Amino acid sequence: MDVRLQMAMVFHLDKCIGCHTCSVACKNVWTDRKGAEYMWWNNVETKPGTGYPTAWEDQQKYHGGWEQKNSQPDLRMGRRELRVLNIFHNPHLPKLDDYYEPWTYKYEDLFDSPEGADQPTARPISMITGNYVDIEAGPNWDDDLGGSPVYAANDPNLDSLTEEERAQVFEIDRLVFFYLPRICNHCINPACVAACPSGAIYKRGEDGIVLINQEKCRGWRMCVTACPYKKSYYNWSTGKSEKCILCFPRLETGQAPACFHSCVGRIRYLGGLLYDADRLLDTLHVPDDKLVESQREMILDPRDPQVREGALRNGIDARALEACERSPVYRYVKQWKMALPLHPEFRTLPMLFYVPPLLPVMAKSEDGLYDTANAELFSPIEKARLPMKYMASLFAGGNQELVRYALKKQYAVRMFKRLDTVGDVDAAAIKRGLEQLNMTGAEAEQIFRLTALPLFDERFVIPSSHREQALAMLNEDMWAEKGGAGFGFRAAPVRGA
Amino acid sequence: MRIHLTRQPIALSLWLLTVLFSQVARAQTAPLAAAPAGPAVSFEKRCYSCHNIGSGNKKGPDLNGVTDRRTRDWLHEYIETPAAFYRKGDPTAVELFKKFAPEVMPDQALTTEEIDAILNMIQALTRKGEVYVPPGAKLARVMGLTDVYAGWRLFTGRDKLQNGGAACISCHTLASAGRLGGGTLGPDLTTANIKYRNPELISILQNPNFPTMSSVFAAHPLSDEEIVKLFALFDHHRRQNPTAQAGATTYDFKFPLLGAITLIGAVVGMNWIWKNRHRGVREEIVRRSRI
Ligand code: SF4
Ligand code: SF4
Repeated sequence: MDVRLQMAMVFHLDKCIGCHTCSVACKNVWTDRKGAEYMWWNNVETKPGTGYPTAWEDQQKYHGGWEQKNSQPDLRMGRRELRVLNIFHNPHLPKLDDYYEPWTYKYEDLFDSPEGADQPTARPISMITGNYVDIEAGPNWDDDLGGSPVYAANDPNLDSLTEEERAQVFEIDRLVFFYLPRICNHCINPACVAACPSGAIYKRGEDGIVLINQEKCRGWRMCVTACPYKKSYYNWSTGKSEKCILCFPRLETGQAPACFHSCVGRIRYLGGLLYDADRLLDTLHVPDDKLVESQREMILDPRDPQVREGALRNGIDARALEACERSPVYRYVKQWKMALPLHPEFRTLPMLFYVPPLLPVMAKSEDGLYDTANAELFSPIEKARLPMKYMASLFAGGNQELVRYALKKQYAVRMFKRLDTVGDVDAAAIKRGLEQLNMTGAEAEQIFRLTALPLFDERFVIPSSHREQALAMLNEDMWAEKGGAGFGFRAAPVRGA
Repeated sequence: MRIHLTRQPIALSLWLLTVLFSQVARAQTAPLAAAPAGPAVSFEKRCYSCHNIGSGNKKGPDLNGVTDRRTRDWLHEYIETPAAFYRKGDPTAVELFKKFAPEVMPDQALTTEEIDAILNMIQALTRKGEVYVPPGAKLARVMGLTDVYAGWRLFTGRDKLQNGGAACISCHTLASAGRLGGGTLGPDLTTANIKYRNPELISILQNPNFPTMSSVFAAHPLSDEEIVKLFALFDHHRRQNPTAQAGATTYDFKFPLLGAITLIGAVVGMNWIWKNRHRGVREEIVRRSRI
């Protein structure tokens, strides 16, 4: 057993209101710079929709992630020799248009225009060239189903549906959507790291955060192609690639990352997970629809004495283990089995998990009447406006059972609490439902607490950081760090350096 | 176009020997009689790279008859500080500077006596109607049978130049340079020996005072041996083509044509190899949904 510590995340989609506060917080802190204008390390997209960059999930086009070849994981972008041949011309990069051309407005025209018959206007200009542009797309262009015949209709996840089901999704009286906030998943098996020819990307030993060393990056952009989530971006100004750093300087000082901290819907949870790195190849050696479960198996119980021993042996601090025991992520992912990884079939073993949304108001209209009556406790889940197949294609590698379970559990908790507070539901049916899900009333109460009323410190359980121990693990010279403080680039990133 | 030296070796060698001998002899003896050694040598060192006497303008004007055109005082002052003289606004100086722009004659660190000796020499040559030939422009030895081929090997870079200079072919072409010709930065050298007289050509080989060449060859001069061989090569070309005009060129379009074909081939090939490359998703989705 090779126990590793990972900072892992849960996004509770049932709570996301699509306000983009997280994206703006991240932009202001990290990517409000020349060359980074088009980057959204955190973005929020509407589903069904094509997202940002357009249709990023379509690996036929982008060639990201891993596939099992001869029982071995291999990058979808091609064998190593092929990647070397493509090193000066990486053919599968998204075009700027697939992201969008970043723009601002020429506000000074509002003030400086000469007096005339018309009101002056601030015309849009490109933030890259400074020329006037006609805005054709943006990072959330298809927000709230905007332009859905173009964008939502091309959602790659709809490929799992039949023609009929597809048409139903876009019927006007059952139209539905939900939000999907995305950041780098800080994967256990990061494709970006594997693809980098310069060895510039690494997964931090102490907390599993995936970082790009700006001094080593040579701008080959192999990570941009390799990451199936398109969460590594190329900065055209510095000539280096950049990605979400999980606000590690904030984590090291005990604060939640900016997007987590600012989240209006309080949908984000952060905590440590322990996993067994020795199991990596076995975990991947299963078909797509078994990946969620095998990934769950890889995650270890921090209370298990054997695990504790292994963790301590690997230099994980006892206080960090204590934090792992309180980790909300462990509960959602492993204990309650309610949080699922996004597109596990990309096989990067993402460490960001999503509680699928229960959003669609479950009803059907008949003769102009809106019928919300349900024969069975869980029948609304089956009647959900978005087919289970669609959700399974997003969160479970096609395994509908896992999504169904997660949704049922949420629904059961909702009804359990309704019985408690309103009392207009059949207690026996709810009891039966809980039994069916192997769930006690106490657990339902816990899930309710952590979902609806969590305190700040319950959402973010950040193990106190021990940089000194991390450095000691790397056998670096500790005296050189004496008196050092702060963070950031020792030198600004420069092209060719 | 290649020289087939080995095909008729005996005939060629006999012919070479007789012709070359007479020429080399001329190159060696004629100029020496014309001028006294002192000023002739300093003229070669200090002035000859830019000035001729009696054989036309170079970077600077031909100095034939200059002692009759200008006064001695003017000449002295001008030679010592040409730029200052020009700035003073002397009309003749201004005219000369304009005519030979962008060349600017550098100030000369010659003593008054040296200048006088040179001017005397110019006067003497002008009087006699003779042409200045640099005294040092002599081949180190008599050209031999194999020198033309050896020169050709040097020219085309098959043999390295002893002091590390770049092979002639990198900038010059020659009728015998091969199918693709040579470089086009410098002139075609097939008629070099017609444009320049023998001693001039030798002097150029010894001390190439053209702006591009001087910077390249200053640190990598040709050895005496190499000069003999290259001279033999140019001389051979003159004899091959006795009616050629100076400046005539054998420039052809094979090389650029080959370049163009390769370029087109590369572009087409790359387009084929990466025919499945990503060409953008969003634009395509939007286009498809418009139909
Ligand atoms: S989400 Fe992409 S960039 Fe982030 S660790 Fe995974 S492969 Fe790398
Ligand atoms: S800030 Fe929170 S609620 Fe708002 S869009 Fe981001 S994740 Fe959703």
